[in-house]
Amino acid sequence: MLATPALLAQTNNLDLIIRYVLAGLGHGIHAGRERGAGVEFSEYRAYAPGDEWRRVDWKLLARADRYYVREAERDSHVAVWLWLDASASMAEPSLAMPNVDKLWYARTVLACLAAVAQRQGDAFGLIVLSNGRVNFTPAARGPRQMHRVLAQLSRAEPSGELPPAETLRASLHFARSPSLVFAVSDFLDFPSPMTDALLRLRHTQHDVRALCLQTRAEVEASFPANKSYRDPEQGDGVFRFGPEAQAEYRLRRGEHFAAVNAEWRKHDIRALSACIEDPVASVLRGWLRQAGRA
Amino acid sequence: MTNLWWFALPVLLLPIWWHRQKRERVKAVPLATARFLPRSDPQQQRVWQWVDRFLLLLRCLLLACLITWLADPVVPWRGDSVLVAAGTDPKWVQQQVEASGFTKVDVASDPLTWFGRHEREWLGDAKVLVLGAVAMPAEKPRFRHQVELRTKPVPFAKTEHRIAIVSKRAAEWRALFAALSGPQRYLIDETISGKPELVIWDVPEAPPAALHAPLWWIGDASAFPELKNAKQVDGLHYADSTRGRLWHSEVWPPKDAASARRLFEDWQRLHYPPVAYVAAPQVLPADPAAPLGAGTRALRDMLSIALIALFALERIVTHASKR
Repeated sequence: MLATPALLAQTNNLDLIIRYVLAGLGHGIHAGRERGAGVEFSEYRAYAPGDEWRRVDWKLLARADRYYVREAERDSHVAVWLWLDASASMAEPSLAMPNVDKLWYARTVLACLAAVAQRQGDAFGLIVLSNGRVNFTPAARGPRQMHRVLAQLSRAEPSGELPPAETLRASLHFARSPSLVFAVSDFLDFPSPMTDALLRLRHTQHDVRALCLQTRAEVEASFPANKSYRDPEQGDGVFRFGPEAQAEYRLRRGEHFAAVNAEWRKHDIRALSACIEDPVASVLRGWLRQAGRA
Repeated sequence: MTNLWWFALPVLLLPIWWHRQKRERVKAVPLATARFLPRSDPQQQRVWQWVDRFLLLLRCLLLACLITWLADPVVPWRGDSVLVAAGTDPKWVQQQVEASGFTKVDVASDPLTWFGRHEREWLGDAKVLVLGAVAMPAEKPRFRHQVELRTKPVPFAKTEHRIAIVSKRAAEWRALFAALSGPQRYLIDETISGKPELVIWDVPEAPPAALHAPLWWIGDASAFPELKNAKQVDGLHYADSTRGRLWHSEVWPPKDAASARRLFEDWQRLHYPPVAYVAAPQVLPADPAAPLGAGTRALRDMLSIALIALFALERIVTHASKR
């Protein structure tokens, strides 16, 4: 796949990106029951744009002069939760690709995941952590839910800090039935209320997957020197970067992520680190594959 | 001297220096992984950047204007010229101007004095031709340009002088003026009328109080108490009164031609300006060491208005920018 994030980032249309990224990815991350022929009929529901034409009940159309879609009963109880960290640090752009930043990448990956979940008939919901608040979209199925989730994803702006522990704890009521949680963040705050919440979800038998986003410059410690830097979330203090600071940076960053990964391993959470300069499709595939092995 | 003011131009550097923004804190770029970097003190950076550029421009202009006003510059713009003194025969002037091909400049006052004052307006290699009855200055004039004098004496203008004679010996007094000839005419009245330039009072009665004249010749001093203790030169008593200057002599009216001529010449010399001597036609060569005139201050009015306007603008802009 030749599509780099820089090319994909030319459009804000998540639909288009999904179609492009998921081309050839196939359906499914786990075995689920597809709607359609042979599945026990459950109910009729009004047609919504995006429904497949073959699922429209034509006899009912002839009788009632309205479009109805046959809904099949499904027994997949797996809900997919998309967990997006939209704090200020997620605005970090790529040095090589100026219009790509971590939030754009996270949004794209989560939108593709939502599309995958929708294709295989799973319910999916969205949790956006931004500006000290939790924006919660309940899990549901179908094309309308897809639109809702994509709209929420598009609306997410990187700002503020992560919500405090009590806010997060109050928001965790969604996790009653076993679900799959896909969390995308930069995991620079660790331990933080967000990681605590993820660990708690893991302890309640949810399947938690973490995608840690970083930039190539962060990995290689190749920031422009002779510039002053500030932390976007912790306002005070000025930091500098130079050849003498490079070794210290590598050491401290290595320690930090070693601690993070150790914690993931300890709690049996599958985590993947990805650079936002990498192609979305391969990262997504790698992440799903890792998930599938679990 | 005024040219030395140009050395004050470096003063313009002062506002330029003052408007320079001294230092600026280095702008910090947000970086998510900044927490892994060592902390540093906020750095200051020297920046060469000017603030309030409009105000800076105004202040520089104001200073430049002030220095120009003090230096009083003259822009040389006149080329070869003909200076024509007032009252010169126009036909002759026209002929001379056409023959020379120079530009004609009419001068109301003495052309040489005027040229000395305005000499800085002439271009370096310009030549000047002066036409008319130019009075010979006491000292030979020196100019940085070549000046050719083409003088032509003008005939004396015909003038009329009114004289009042109040005397019982009027015939003797009249004889004093009878022998005179020339462009001056002396109108002699026996009665007081008009404004006489000379009153000859030779009766014991006092003259009317309203009568004024520049000079009185008093034959009978009994009515003039001012003359009692008056100073005298060669038997001529003189005093100043409210009516005018009084002359008195015991031996008047003059009895012989010599004393009559002396009295007449004294009067002419002391009460009428001397007739200028017309300089001989000549070429005054250019003298590079000649002193230059003080300048005409022709630009000063314009510069003064500009100064006031700039000052007002500067104050307004300063006030507005402080708000």
